[in-house]
Amino acid sequence: MGEDEQVEAFSGYVNDLGPAVALPVVIFIFALLLRQATGDALRAALKIGIGFVGINLVIGLLGTVISPAATAMAENVGVDLSVIDVGWPSTAAIAFGAQVGAFAIPVGLIVNVAMLAVGLTKTLNIDLWNYWHIAFTGAIVAIVADSFAAGLVTAAIHMVVILAMADWCAPLIQKYYNYPGISFPHGTSIAYAPFAIPLNWLFDRTPGVRNAKADPDAIQKRFGVLGEATVLGAVLGLIIGLLAYGFDSPRSDSIAILTLAINLAAVMLLLPRMVSILMEALLPISEGAQKLVKERFPGRDIYIGLDSAISIGHPSVIATSLLLVPITLLLAVVLPGNRVLPLVDLATIPFIVAIMVPIFRGNILRSLLGGIVAMTATLYIATWMAPFMTEAAGRVGFQAEQTSGQISSLVDGGNPLSALFVLGGRLGWTGLAGLGVLALVFSWWVKVRGAEGALTYEESSVDDASAPKDTASTTS
Amino acid sequence: MTRRVLIVCGTGVATSTVVADRVRRHLEACGIDAKVEQSTVAELHRGAAGYDLIVATTQVRDDVGVPVVAGLPFLTGVGADEALAEIEGHLRDSAD
Repeated sequence: MGEDEQVEAFSGYVNDLGPAVALPVVIFIFALLLRQATGDALRAALKIGIGFVGINLVIGLLGTVISPAATAMAENVGVDLSVIDVGWPSTAAIAFGAQVGAFAIPVGLIVNVAMLAVGLTKTLNIDLWNYWHIAFTGAIVAIVADSFAAGLVTAAIHMVVILAMADWCAPLIQKYYNYPGISFPHGTSIAYAPFAIPLNWLFDRTPGVRNAKADPDAIQKRFGVLGEATVLGAVLGLIIGLLAYGFDSPRSDSIAILTLAINLAAVMLLLPRMVSILMEALLPISEGAQKLVKERFPGRDIYIGLDSAISIGHPSVIATSLLLVPITLLLAVVLPGNRVLPLVDLATIPFIVAIMVPIFRGNILRSLLGGIVAMTATLYIATWMAPFMTEAAGRVGFQAEQTSGQISSLVDGGNPLSALFVLGGRLGWTGLAGLGVLALVFSWWVKVRGAEGALTYEESSVDDASAPKDTASTTS
Repeated sequence: MTRRVLIVCGTGVATSTVVADRVRRHLEACGIDAKVEQSTVAELHRGAAGYDLIVATTQVRDDVGVPVVAGLPFLTGVGADEALAEIEGHLRDSAD
């Protein structure tokens, strides 16, 4: 055999093994390189394989129960929502399981360390789990550009944008959420900040919206149950089941509807549980890498980049997200051309609004209006992304027997920034080079403008209706 | 008696897994019999009856009725030992 044939045979072998077997090997090697004990490395490696097997099982269950219901719903009531939202847990697994995904963590870390070294960012992104966002974009671009290298480069550029955005928003989230020294290099949350800025400017100049207020605590008390994923799953199952199967023959229809309800509730609980197994597997790597990188940058004035999950308990974020659950479902039905049936990521809406809410200075009405714009864009992007995501899922061995339906997700299948990279990737290297230059110019602009150009938050704001409007500006 | 600790974060998956791992290891090492569970902050709207302590990586309502320890130190690495001591203190107090 020639050398090329050997490489091809090996690559084909790795492909046939699938990520549930191949990723454990990669993780095992990473863990050893980061000086973890052999036993711990082995356990972590096995766990990541187990997490993959678990996620595959639950996606299979989701497809089995929801696909026929979605088809029946299209036939019965003419609502064609045949693209299933498999949610961020599956999306993250698809991302890390892709060939590009396995390299996302080292590539992301190298980009981060390089940008810190030349002073292009102040953020040290220690939230390794959320490197899945760049892995996802890279994996999709690798498909549309049909190039592994293009996928890797995309992941690297995506990290540049995420770090620059994290720096830009840092003073805002530090003040609003009271987390000094923290930034949010979170692929989902930062992608929606640009929506909120022009909208907020507009709201400042719109009578009726300008001074309107709503009480987050009251909303939380009233709609709190929408935040319980299992209850939400069951209720959605009942509604979808009724629409899909009707109630003409009470015996068989009630069986179908109730089965759908309990299975959807199960998916909502089980999918995140499976991801937490993946997460546990990454812990030793995450700790090892954190130590290594922190030793390199001792005592520097840096932001610690964390998961925006730490902001999600804020009353205004919870209240906005709860209200957006029924609104997103309604949007999915009424928006012409949308084909995504929002399911698993109805529980992930807080990540979409986590940076928007502080830009709207915690005002619920503004956040809600901004959220509606964001969710509209998200649904359309997720619809557009569905063929690519379905292909990516197939490549990592998910849904092998479920060839009929398409899948997508709101996070990050509907992510505007990911979509921008996919568009760039379709143009090939020219597109990616353009995005790369833009990303570097943006990060340079954020650095040069410093605190003056950054988004920030001032106490006297919309929620204090008597305050003069000028002080309420978030950008300067 | 077994203590029950609830680790709370935005997803009940990501940051809470990091914290749960650290808390579990520490409590085991200092011989406190505790069950460590994970949940999302959105599920807390009914309160946290049955738990002795909450460790949260995000903001938790004031009226939750259980002592709350901030979990952020486990993510940043700054002040993690103090947070572990605080957790240990709460669980030993409530054991008396």
